[in-house]
Amino acid sequence: MTITSRQLRVSRRAAIGTAGACALAWAAWPRAQRDLAGMPRGRKVLHYWEKWTGAEGAALQGVINTFNQSQEKLWVVRVPISDISSKAMVAIGGGDPPDLVGLFSYSVPLYAEAGAAMPLDSFPEHEWRGETDYLPNIWKLLTHEARPRAGVNTCYTLGLYYNRAHFREAGLDPDRPPRTIGELDAFADRLNAKDAQGAIRRAGFLPNLPAWWPYSWSAYFDGRLFDSATGRATADEAGNIKALEWIAATAARVGRAEASAFAQTFSRSIHSPQDPFISGRASMIVQGPWLANFIRLHNPSLDYGVTAVPIDDALPQPELPRGLLEADVIIIPRGCKNPEASWEFLRFMQRRETQEQLALAHCKGSPMREVSSEFLARHPSRFVGVFDAIARSTRADVLPPTRVWPQYADLLGGAFDSVWRGADPAATLAAVQARAQGLIERASSLRAARAERGGA
Amino acid sequence: MSGEHESRFSEAKPARSSGSPKAWLWIAPWLIGFIVFMLIPSAMSLYYSFTDYSLLESPVGIGPANYVELWNDPLFWTAVWNTLAYAGASVTIGTLVALLVAILLEQHIRGCGVARAIIFMPTLVPLVASALAWAFMYNSEAGIINRALGAVGLPTPNWLGDARYAMTALVIMGFWNIGTAVVVYSAALRDVPRSLYEAADIDGAGRLARLWHVSLPAISPAILFNVMISIIWSLQVFGAPQIMTEGGPDHSTYVYQLYIYESAFRYGRMGYASAMAWVQLLATIGIAGLTLALSRRLVHYRAA
Repeated sequence: MTITSRQLRVSRRAAIGTAGACALAWAAWPRAQRDLAGMPRGRKVLHYWEKWTGAEGAALQGVINTFNQSQEKLWVVRVPISDISSKAMVAIGGGDPPDLVGLFSYSVPLYAEAGAAMPLDSFPEHEWRGETDYLPNIWKLLTHEARPRAGVNTCYTLGLYYNRAHFREAGLDPDRPPRTIGELDAFADRLNAKDAQGAIRRAGFLPNLPAWWPYSWSAYFDGRLFDSATGRATADEAGNIKALEWIAATAARVGRAEASAFAQTFSRSIHSPQDPFISGRASMIVQGPWLANFIRLHNPSLDYGVTAVPIDDALPQPELPRGLLEADVIIIPRGCKNPEASWEFLRFMQRRETQEQLALAHCKGSPMREVSSEFLARHPSRFVGVFDAIARSTRADVLPPTRVWPQYADLLGGAFDSVWRGADPAATLAAVQARAQGLIERASSLRAARAERGGA
Repeated sequence: MSGEHESRFSEAKPARSSGSPKAWLWIAPWLIGFIVFMLIPSAMSLYYSFTDYSLLESPVGIGPANYVELWNDPLFWTAVWNTLAYAGASVTIGTLVALLVAILLEQHIRGCGVARAIIFMPTLVPLVASALAWAFMYNSEAGIINRALGAVGLPTPNWLGDARYAMTALVIMGFWNIGTAVVVYSAALRDVPRSLYEAADIDGAGRLARLWHVSLPAISPAILFNVMISIIWSLQVFGAPQIMTEGGPDHSTYVYQLYIYESAFRYGRMGYASAMAWVQLLATIGIAGLTLALSRRLVHYRAA
């Protein structure tokens, strides 16, 4: 039997249809996930969403690998997620959350009140000791209304980095950094350098460089942003007004436009070789402990020191460092498929040695009450003790435990901007206070309405 | 072959009315997409705009409270004003610049083809990449723009760090994308009947008179189309301010979409964001309707 060419002819429609069907089948064909390559048989898979990428992500992966090899039941898959807060909200609200999510400590109140972060005291405790494991302020960040809602995943405070070579050049003692705001201003004035046109060539110190924590200045003037006892915003407290008055005075002293232009120059180069502190364009800067990693990477010969951020000259107990303690956290979301297994991994993450391993890689302090001598000895920043002292200080504080904090923080950021450009600090903070308090009261009345209706 | 086609067409039954099941089947993919991804979410967002809804909790009905709060929210009005300022400047100046460029490109001078390609090319660049590039170009100290201005002795503003210049910087950056409008205007200009120009020449019209009395009226439908598209897009501006200024300094570039996004995903206030979205939709329809009404006397449609 012979087949003629006429019999072999395939219509164009049939060819396109077959090609389309093949493409569809190829796309839909089940295949082994790349993430699960190397996973031993019989493991339960946990998906862990985390914001970290690059070196920080690799450090976390190292911890996860240790966990995966330490037992034979579970296999944790790290899923790097950008803009994690919004995506976690969508996933949890949509009823398809991962098994674990890495968030920021300021997310805890919202997730707790919405019932979106499972209370950790509802799990069997095993070797997890909870409160006694952590620094007191860290425990505050992990709990909401007396219930633990999250585990910690490294923490940080801010310190003042200063360029010792610049100090010597300006006739200042490099072993005697500023301790008070008055000294900070005086030192900054001696370190400032402008060109013939009045443009800043080197900044002694600018509070808007970088303007990442515009709300943090209150802490150095004994200002509180929130009264946890009454649940009220306290943006217009005297200490907060004093902090913004100092911002206004600094802007006027160094030149509002000149300082803004100088800061804007570095808006995209923080932590790069062109970073204002690393490149020697700023003599003093407020940053977290991780800056040491970037200095070692981009300018290892930089002669610098780190000290606690100076405080208002009139404050009592100046020997106790102040500042805000913030942390990354890990939660077990409502509706996750394997809560018990997630709890097992979360407990592993809360071990002192795990947190130390992560903190060493991220160049941060340890959030745990007890710190091994090895941790301090091996830490990539020789100034980790400065940050550790702030974290342990009884004068240190945490962010306001309210679900409206992100909006409140933005209002404070706007206030910083306005005051820098000449607005009156007291009037600006009065407006922030009114708006923030309105938001808090609104959130609280809606929460009551939900509770009356029967849960989230 | 052609005869076969002809006979097939000639034998084909006349098209049935829109109620034909076959017709519905053909438009089903679009219809399903529209219903699932547009109509239902829009209806839900209208519902959510009358609730407090954080995505993490079930919505609680609060009546028109979100709309009342919007009315009293100073940041809402800042965002409205900034967006209108951006839209006003970018639509008017952008239309004029695009028209001017299109007219220049139709002068048949050497290198027009290359110039057209260069002008269109930026529209192919992803917004994030171009916004980052412009942010570097606007850098007050090291940016190429200030270096050029400084080299000729002109003032060097702090483009993105000074509230007086930041919005202007965004509007200028918007011209980067006039390529599509230029292509539409170029096509429209080529479509103007030669006979109209010849008649104008006979009447003794000069270059400007030809442009004003022949070219612009003839391409007025294309201008209206581009203006309408520009209005809709500029009222939705988001990417450039988000990447280049994050709404700052001092909220000078805080546009409406930025506030919607932050309300929904940063502040967990989906209900409030939905109310903002509906206000924007109604405002956009209103502005577009007004533009159409005003254009009636200015736009000339040629008879077929």
